[in-house]
Amino acid sequence: MKVLISGAGGFLGRAVVACLLERGHSVRAIVRPSSQRPPWPDTVDVIRADLRVQEDLTSAFDGIDAVLHLAAATSGSEDTQFSSTVVATERFLEAMARSTVRRLLHVSSLVVYDWSKAESCMDEETPLENNPYTMGGYAIAKVWQERVVSRFAKEHSWDLTIARPGFIWGHDHADIAGMGRKFGRVYLLFGPLTRLPLSHVANCADCLVAAVENPAASGETFNIIDGDDIRVWRYAREYARRTGQRGFFLPVPYRVGLGVAQLAALTSRTLFGSKGKLPSLLTPRRFESQFKPIRFSNRRVRQVLNWKPRKSFDECLELSFPHVQYDGALRSFES
Amino acid sequence: MAKLTGVLIGCGAIAREHLSVLADVEKIDVIAVCDISPARAEAAAERFGIARFYSGHRSLLADIRPDLVHITTPPSSHFPIATDCLAAGLNVFCEKPVTVRYEEFCALKKLAREKNCMLVENQQNRFHSSVRRIQELVRSGELGDVLEVQVCLSLNIMGAGSPYVDQNAPHFGMTLSGGVIGDFLPHIAYLAYMFTGKITDVHTGWAKFRSGSPLLADEFRGMLKGERCTAYVSFSGNAQPDGFLIRVAGTRMRVETNLFEPPRLIVKRARSGEPALGTLIDGIAESRQVLVGSVTGFLRKLGGTSSYDGLKEMILKTYSAIELREPQPIPLDEIDEVAQLVDRLASQELS
Repeated sequence: MKVLISGAGGFLGRAVVACLLERGHSVRAIVRPSSQRPPWPDTVDVIRADLRVQEDLTSAFDGIDAVLHLAAATSGSEDTQFSSTVVATERFLEAMARSTVRRLLHVSSLVVYDWSKAESCMDEETPLENNPYTMGGYAIAKVWQERVVSRFAKEHSWDLTIARPGFIWGHDHADIAGMGRKFGRVYLLFGPLTRLPLSHVANCADCLVAAVENPAASGETFNIIDGDDIRVWRYAREYARRTGQRGFFLPVPYRVGLGVAQLAALTSRTLFGSKGKLPSLLTPRRFESQFKPIRFSNRRVRQVLNWKPRKSFDECLELSFPHVQYDGALRSFES
Repeated sequence: MAKLTGVLIGCGAIAREHLSVLADVEKIDVIAVCDISPARAEAAAERFGIARFYSGHRSLLADIRPDLVHITTPPSSHFPIATDCLAAGLNVFCEKPVTVRYEEFCALKKLAREKNCMLVENQQNRFHSSVRRIQELVRSGELGDVLEVQVCLSLNIMGAGSPYVDQNAPHFGMTLSGGVIGDFLPHIAYLAYMFTGKITDVHTGWAKFRSGSPLLADEFRGMLKGERCTAYVSFSGNAQPDGFLIRVAGTRMRVETNLFEPPRLIVKRARSGEPALGTLIDGIAESRQVLVGSVTGFLRKLGGTSSYDGLKEMILKTYSAIELREPQPIPLDEIDEVAQLVDRLASQELS
């Protein structure tokens, strides 16, 4: 199979390219013009393009069997993220619509769900976020990106698969939002026993490639998580131990954190009306979307693709922190 | 009474500032938005509860005749869009700079006059509360005769992740004379012009401090001689922290402000008597200004007040002029003078 992959030079993109090559697929990779070519074999066909401004991308689709769309911004201003994620997707899919390619796998995110409506377990039936504008630039962009992809796929009758990974982590990308916030040497853990929807980059890439390969994935939407048995406390402890960071963990019950955020929101509404602005930690809906203590199901991806994570959490830890030895840091809360 | 109506063409970051301002004004209805990206247009419409959205400005103009068209697209598209709007007999409120080349501005000015339409450049800092207070000090005579104005903008356009030096998607400012600094020259020029009046002489210096960037220059200095006073103007893409300093020196007083900080003035008066006592009085007054300004600024931030102080005033004055059939808030000839000044400042860029 010949696969075109956008965002190939990114954290997840590089893992997906490696996985595609490992399984014998040929790869055409779109990377940004100014970025260095990752250490790929010469067989990888590299196209240098920025989807925001590239004049014509149609030729990128020549001879392609399936498209994996990963390109998105994970930082920057709201406008920058919208351009890099949504406008870039519009341009990319306009080019795809001029080609004969019909198979598309889009990588979305769990942020597209309305976390306030997730009761006890988040799965593919959880309602989507309909008012993302208070949820920050990343959520706005990912919600709109998925809307754009779905509309294009419907209009052009493409075989679409939407994959919504949880917190993607791995080497140099282990500091995830669900872990809490660091203030100086103090790490606030909101809901230390909350389950994390983790998706190690190697497992996530494996699942995406499995979805591209399997015709049963067409028309499906999957949440991609390795499982939800790892809790904030354990993850944070492993992170701190393996990165050698010094400091103190301060567990804050989820309800206390949410209560503080609700109080701040009430005060803001009283004083400033609907225009009041608060940092994300003090915005109840954004607080929920990072720390809500619910379960996360990967049942559908297991059922349809017969997929399960190739690597356990412990193996993923070894992959993600390969050279760091525990140096006694954080002894203060280990004892 | 019928409401005034507006539309926005261009739905990026600055458009959001316009829409936030307009959302608060009862007598103005934004009836449509437009962006070349259909998703961006629809997102802006959904976010601000606007009924119609378009991905082509000509379709919008064919359907709707608003009282005012806000043009909030990148500068290179201003000229064709403004031409279409003015040709259709519509008033235009355009982000700065109105055009990339001065000749294009002249063509728009001629068209606006022929069609009896407004052509307003967004010069929001003229209406910034601190700038208006300085103007009041000048007008009342408290400051004495104005001798010199300094307008110094420092902005970290060279930092990691800055869109100004993005080598993958060149910033729209790269299309301007003066490169991305050209995007800021209108602000610098109209603020200096407010005090100097018509410019009679211009000297500029351009430099590149960081060699690895795609910019031709990241530092700019200028000396202006005007009919009322002189001005020193500068832009630094490297000096930190960010700041937009205005300092006006008069025969009785020196006053300065930073437009990036909460509205406050630092005032030094000429005093008779014991100098040490004068220093103490000025120090106490300055401390009070800093305290009040900082608290006010913090509350404004929490209250979601736009950091674009002056934009609301300028937009409201424009709509008000339309409603009352009065002249536009900044005369077209003054906008022309500023456009000429920008052209002169930019024409000596490094080549």
